[in-house]
Amino acid sequence: MANDREVLRDIWDGKLPVCFNINDEEICDLQTPESYYLMIPRLSYFPLVWDKILIFHSRIFCIQKVKKHFVKHIHSDRQEMEMWLDYNGTPLKWHYPVGLLYDLYAYDTQLPWTVTVHFEKFPENEILHCNSREVVESHFMSTVKEADALKHRGQIISTMQKKEHTQLWLGLQNDKFDQFWAVNKKLMDTSGSDGEFKHIPFRFYSTDEGPFIQKLVKPFTEGQPKSLLNLIEEVYPDIGCDKGI
Amino acid sequence: MANSTQGANKNEENKSAENKEPSSPIENCEEKLTNTENKITIVFHATGNTPILKSRKLMVKKERKMGDVITFLKKLLNLHPSDSLFLYVNQAFAPSPDQTIKNLYECYGVEGTLPIHYCKSQAWG
Repeated sequence: MANDREVLRDIWDGKLPVCFNINDEEICDLQTPESYYLMIPRLSYFPLVWDKILIFHSRIFCIQKVKKHFVKHIHSDRQEMEMWLDYNGTPLKWHYPVGLLYDLYAYDTQLPWTVTVHFEKFPENEILHCNSREVVESHFMSTVKEADALKHRGQIISTMQKKEHTQLWLGLQNDKFDQFWAVNKKLMDTSGSDGEFKHIPFRFYSTDEGPFIQKLVKPFTEGQPKSLLNLIEEVYPDIGCDKGI
Repeated sequence: MANSTQGANKNEENKSAENKEPSSPIENCEEKLTNTENKITIVFHATGNTPILKSRKLMVKKERKMGDVITFLKKLLNLHPSDSLFLYVNQAFAPSPDQTIKNLYECYGVEGTLPIHYCKSQAWG
């Protein structure tokens, strides 16, 4: 699985052009700030792009920069308020990868993907707070741990050293493919004494039944490897695949 | 995770916060056992120096989310909404607050129940 380097690389390299506009109602200036454009890795999270200037201050990728760019145009007493994004009235969950959010809500729109920046009226019931990069890291590590619980009963992740966890996270955060995969290949290993994965970690996201569906699915049926179609049929037994999902 | 924000004026807010909470989570979550098919029994385990609950079992609707359970448990433990409380499944990971109990049960259920460990500080990173 982890040998398919070209495919892994292509998935890793997927990026989305995103255009950030501030919500008109939150501007106190007469002048509307210009739109702000970024190319964001599909596998990344919005708050990471926000934060990037703190780490690579010379790089253009940054959420903090987006924030700085807009913050001078809004009322001073609101500047400490938490930033959040919406697309077409739907608040965007920061804990979903950027590419997933686009595929869920905006797959039929033209690029660049235009999202709105807010500092007011935080939608408490719809999205989670994110006040630091550490919150994103702990969310990400939790999903990695859960995936390993399904794949190897958590044995790989729990025997890793702290610095390997950090490397995984920094690899994703800094868009370093080799750094990330040097650790992730262990998590994707199927050659150990246990052989194949116990279960396949997957989630089916949809906009109308939420937030997502997750089940225990083994990678094989009677010795035969399961295809994606088999997986879909197992999760949605009522839907014939000819009808689509 | 998302529940790890610090509360500044904790003490002053403590009482009023308790009063204005009721619309949220599991108030009606222990709806008596009229219809157990749509419900899942969670068994709570305290970890670290977190207080033990009088009643460790809770029946919740499948559609409930982890966020609801966190809010409910905080009330039960007399914690302020802004206090930290970490909930772990499989003694390994903290599901995100929007994960449903149904998904967790399907993947990590044990003998008809979903064991959840809770802790006031991070237990499994």
